[in-house]
Amino acid sequence: MTVSLILWYYLWVAPKVLQVILLGGMVRRGLHRQFPMFFLYTGLQVVQTGVLLAISWTHFGFGGEYFRAYSATRAVSAALRFGIIHELFSHFFRRYPLLIGTGRSVLRGATIALLLVAVGGAAFAPGNSSNFLFNVTYTLDRVATILQSGLLISLFVFSRYFVLSWRNQAFGIALGLGILASVELPMSVARLYGLVSSTVFDFVIMGTYHCCVLIWIFYLALPERRPRQTLNPPPEHNLDVWNRELERLLQR
Amino acid sequence: MTLTIIVVVVALAVPLLLITLRGQAAGSKVLENPAEHIRSVDVEAFCNLVDPDEEEFLRLHLRPADFRRIQRERLRAAAEYVSCAAHNAAILLRLADAGRHSSDPATAEAAQKLVDNALRLRLYALHAIPRLYLGMILPGSRISPDRIADGYEQMTRMVVMLGCLRYPTRGVSAAL
Repeated sequence: MTVSLILWYYLWVAPKVLQVILLGGMVRRGLHRQFPMFFLYTGLQVVQTGVLLAISWTHFGFGGEYFRAYSATRAVSAALRFGIIHELFSHFFRRYPLLIGTGRSVLRGATIALLLVAVGGAAFAPGNSSNFLFNVTYTLDRVATILQSGLLISLFVFSRYFVLSWRNQAFGIALGLGILASVELPMSVARLYGLVSSTVFDFVIMGTYHCCVLIWIFYLALPERRPRQTLNPPPEHNLDVWNRELERLLQR
Repeated sequence: MTLTIIVVVVALAVPLLLITLRGQAAGSKVLENPAEHIRSVDVEAFCNLVDPDEEEFLRLHLRPADFRRIQRERLRAAAEYVSCAAHNAAILLRLADAGRHSSDPATAEAAQKLVDNALRLRLYALHAIPRLYLGMILPGSRISPDRIADGYEQMTRMVVMLGCLRYPTRGVSAAL
């Protein structure tokens, strides 16, 4: 077994072992109820890896059967990541109900615009493989990643404009997803144009995923940050304060 | 290749946004001394700038070229006022967000109202500023000054109330 093969298996399996720990931590802290989509995504990532690993060890190896299973799991993962982004938007809607209408419009508008861009890009992109399933899987993957990156940018711009405060856990989830999407996107395009080999692509993506899992563990383990305000000591002349403020109001 | 460039730019933008926006959203420096960051807004002057009667008066008494030039200046000034009001709303949002978790129900309620008012004002600014700039190109595009003025007044009232509830508004009401 070569060093690169050991590293390859490590990067494939280790993040999933960490994700099992992450799942346990989420259940223990009750976070699976607050972020059910992320919990489901994490759980399914572990199961998917188990299934793919099992297929690769049978006589099918990394052949057609493996790739069909891989394509199916990619599709499920992509769908769940959209669910997580929706969950992050909902996290703000719950805390700031006034923004539900605007937030939904932003989400809808951004999705439509990004979908047009992503589908347009996919239509003009060259196919780099004669295998139809390969082409479809990679093309859909790119479309999903463009959409996810754009939606995450929209989410951050939205929260920035309205000065919305993030909870640690929600921020950690968004950060991990954002990093993953932002590495996947240029790498998949680089692979499409033959700038990187599939091996380099796999190593970079798996390495990034490993880092993202560590980020998720770090943020989900953090205690919830409560905005703290220390109250001033009671003013000595309360009436003076009231009078001053009332005078100011009357002057308006 | 264009697609590649776009995709790469978008991809790089994500982590940059994540990091910078997180830092900015925290705004801890602003919270240390919010009164220093408050920009002065003269609500009456703003109402005057977007008053349709004023506009009509100027249209009747000025040459068309002068009217267009002055109206552009007025709308630019109005946009600046709205922008300052939105900036102040952002500071008050940060300040009040913490108060929503107060153990004192009156403070928590007042802080929640302030958060809602400030969000409403920023939402309205989002619509109003482009319309004011549009009005410079296409005369006739108007905004309702009442919504900004009323929103700002309500917001100020809530800051005063929070100050009276001994919530640390740190001199913000005097700066508004």
